[in-house]
Amino acid sequence: MTAVADPALADAGLALADATPGSVFAASVLQTGFFAGLAEFLRPSNLAGVLVNGLAKSALFVMIAAGLSLIFGLLGVLNFAHGSLTMIGAYLGGLVMVVLVGGATGAWARLGYFLVALVVVFAALAVLGLVVEVGLIRQLYDSPPIYQILLTFGVTLVLEELVRIVVSFYGLQPISDWQEALGTKPAFLARQTTLGPVTVRGLALFEILLGALTVVGIWLFLTRTRYGLFIRAGSEDDEMAAALGIDVRRVFTVVFALGSALAGIAGALLMWDPVWGASVPLAAETLLPAFVVVIIGGLGTFRGTVVGAVIVGMADAVTTWWFVNVVTWTWLPEVTVFLILVGMLVVRPQGLYGVEEVGGH
Amino acid sequence: MTLLELDGIETYYGESHILEGVSLSVGEGEVVALVGRNGVGKTTTLRSILQLTPPREGSITYRDEQLVGLETHEVADRGVGWIPEDRRIFSQLTVAENIRVAVPDRAAVDAALSLAYDTFPILEERQGQDAGTLSGGQQQMLALARGLVGDNDLLLVDEPSEGLAPQIVADVGEALAEAARDTTLLLVEQNLPLALDLADRFYVLDNGRVVDDGDAEEVSADSDRLRRYLSA
Amino acid sequence: MSRHQVRVLVVLALAAYPALYHLLTQSPVGVEAETLLPRMDTMVALLYFGLFAVSFDFISGYTGYLSFGHAAFYGTGAYFVVLVANGKIPLVPSGTPFMITLLCAGLVAALLAVGIGLVSFRLSGVYFAMITLGFAQVLYVFVRGLEWISSNPRDGASVSGSTHPEGFEVGVPFVDGLNLAIGPLSGDTVTLLGHTLGTNAVSFYLVGAVVLACYLAMQRIIHSPFGQVMVAIRDNEERAEAIGYDTFRYKMGAFVTSGFFAGVAGGLFAGFRRSVTPENTFYFLVTGDALLASIIGGFGTLAGPIFGHFFDESIREFLSPAGQGGGLLPYLQTRLSEGVLSAEVGGLTVEGFIEAALNGHASLYVGIVFVLFVLYVPNGLVGAARDRLGGPVTEKLPDRLWDR
Repeated sequence: MTAVADPALADAGLALADATPGSVFAASVLQTGFFAGLAEFLRPSNLAGVLVNGLAKSALFVMIAAGLSLIFGLLGVLNFAHGSLTMIGAYLGGLVMVVLVGGATGAWARLGYFLVALVVVFAALAVLGLVVEVGLIRQLYDSPPIYQILLTFGVTLVLEELVRIVVSFYGLQPISDWQEALGTKPAFLARQTTLGPVTVRGLALFEILLGALTVVGIWLFLTRTRYGLFIRAGSEDDEMAAALGIDVRRVFTVVFALGSALAGIAGALLMWDPVWGASVPLAAETLLPAFVVVIIGGLGTFRGTVVGAVIVGMADAVTTWWFVNVVTWTWLPEVTVFLILVGMLVVRPQGLYGVEEVGGH
Repeated sequence: MTLLELDGIETYYGESHILEGVSLSVGEGEVVALVGRNGVGKTTTLRSILQLTPPREGSITYRDEQLVGLETHEVADRGVGWIPEDRRIFSQLTVAENIRVAVPDRAAVDAALSLAYDTFPILEERQGQDAGTLSGGQQQMLALARGLVGDNDLLLVDEPSEGLAPQIVADVGEALAEAARDTTLLLVEQNLPLALDLADRFYVLDNGRVVDDGDAEEVSADSDRLRRYLSA
Repeated sequence: MSRHQVRVLVVLALAAYPALYHLLTQSPVGVEAETLLPRMDTMVALLYFGLFAVSFDFISGYTGYLSFGHAAFYGTGAYFVVLVANGKIPLVPSGTPFMITLLCAGLVAALLAVGIGLVSFRLSGVYFAMITLGFAQVLYVFVRGLEWISSNPRDGASVSGSTHPEGFEVGVPFVDGLNLAIGPLSGDTVTLLGHTLGTNAVSFYLVGAVVLACYLAMQRIIHSPFGQVMVAIRDNEERAEAIGYDTFRYKMGAFVTSGFFAGVAGGLFAGFRRSVTPENTFYFLVTGDALLASIIGGFGTLAGPIFGHFFDESIREFLSPAGQGGGLLPYLQTRLSEGVLSAEVGGLTVEGFIEAALNGHASLYVGIVFVLFVLYVPNGLVGAARDRLGGPVTEKLPDRLWDR
């Protein structure tokens, strides 16, 4: 995925899955067996490090999955284009940063520009979502749900190829991460920070902060605003909501635009993270975890999505630590994530907070 | 004065023909009962009025305006409320939120809440609870309250007494009688005594058609007239 | 024309394709023919992947259970063939006749389907699609990391030249005279009446024969009482259950059958290409391609996905990157004059524009076609044709397919 140049890689997690055994990290492999590994894992500084990494991953997952969850909850559309929207957000955010940031730009100015990038990405992706919903998906609300899913699958193909064309046209390699965008981070985010006994990436803390803000923001929007009330009512029973005078179709459009915008700002954040980075394959890399998170939590419940993201993020961080330090199974983190999905579907198909029968039809 | 007029509506679910030319009218301030066996199209008639299942043919006029072709929320905006079968409260919203969501005017929310709590004091006690945790009777009260606070001129009420304990049926009947003072009701009800007690007039539906209609009082005296349409 | 006659005609047209392709590309319109017609190796790919798409339609289109992890079976069949050839599978030595390996590949995939099905059929709708996807992704990640498979499993595995240098032979096992090898390089050529059929053309007929046999088998099942129950499950599972069918067993049977044929398709792919990667076997986008083929061709029509895949592949090859033979880009580059190519429009040369818009960007146009099909031809090519001809109208995809 990325070059090792970025110091953040040292405990960056998933990126390590791409490093072949015997590379830079071989030195840290204990290879002394399970119990020695366990003892090492349980040392407070290691546990705390895993916890912070896990929270950072959880924050990313919740940002990736929040829009997908909102859209499924209300529209019943499993949006296959969601990953592509994240990917577009990553490139767009990167573009804003690369244009605004020069070599001499200070750390706080970079952070300020990042806020600008978030606003731009949010607005642009909301418009894109609006166009997709009004132009395409709206035509199919009366068809079987599978056709809406297929439609978004087709939209993915088109969007990804369009991005590929544009990106290659400007001389970037679409399948590798956009290094220049990665380099627009403020220096303090790229460095390791010491917090008491634990050394963590600055970026991890930033991700946790942004993820927490996103969760609180969405939660306040859903529970404290009138529009949020309409969305929750419509998610449960759209017919009843319409019969109470709510223009459900318009709420659909707003939610699709909002969900797309959330996918976009998740992308803008990933653009800074060397584990992910802006690239065309980011679409598939984010879509699958987003599905897993949303299904574990229960399709369409926001609370479930948050809890699902924490479960997946923590499991990923723990297994990544084991893979880096004890075992050489490169597949451990990814397989664990999908095994959680399979296990959850077997034990509790509706997910943690899902309701078995949604709506009183 | 006629508030609502259905003229020869034909409604389908997919390919099955449910309503075969239903015509009826509801006058302003009236309570009209729509009775008949299960599956003859009573609920579909209400759904047709609301444009949830729009009729393929026929016309539905409300205050001299054609409803066919409007969206459901536009019908609701014109003052048509719905208290559906199975209640259909929003189980993951709190009791108070269920009422808030039914009030079209943001400024009227507080008045609506006190109206609902005055009518059904139990709802005030439970206002912060998720509606899904209420008992069946309380859910029905919430569904009624949601219809009452919507500032509606016409309420379509579907099986309000279904599955309720007798004491609660009485409460529900009382609330509907209260509502009928300043709201027009079109009431689908299996419980004949309750229906005829509330109603001014009635229509009997059988196999997607209106087969009988008349004044509630005359039929209360002649109980056999309805029985043959209602027994299985 | 009866449907039977249509089928025979399609098979005949396919059988005539190599000759037609040969004649047309040698004719005065050779350049145009090469531009428009899929190459022979594309046609072979069309057959084995078409079989995979048909097996996907067999379960998804007929029972309504979207097998979104279907690539697992395709990948299992493909890897099995390569691993057998490399002597990695106990009890099945490297020299095993390909037809037997292929059968085993199907059986192993079917066994996997039993395992996945036992767990997954407790669910339905979106959840079924997602759990099968989950299983397939677990296998994908495993296969990418398992060093037992090859020295660099991330890049897949190839048939080793030391243990299995010869091509994979299709025919009657153990009878040398009745076998011919497949593969663009390792396959056999045949000289008949003074004409030589190239390796790709020979492979086309051999793979085609296996695919045809599999297709007919699946078609038989669909038209048998068993198939009627599958459709009954799709249309209304509760009713099928109420009539007294043990729907779980029927779903399992259909899933395992489908897995078997997907495994055979994967085995054919590996036998022809001699190398496999996780990305072109187990990855979820492989299932996505089968889905694409099914929608364009017609969901629940069995034959439709083959046509759908043909359509998809033709567009992809027509718009393939330069240097891969055939297609629109080399055609324009050779046919348009230097003056036209270097003409500038708004700072962009025509050549640059053609490059940017066409070079390897078939997915864009396939995506647009796909979206248009979903919107305007939801029954697909075959479904629409049947509707038009008044033939047996394909039942509309039931709403229950994705009920939640």
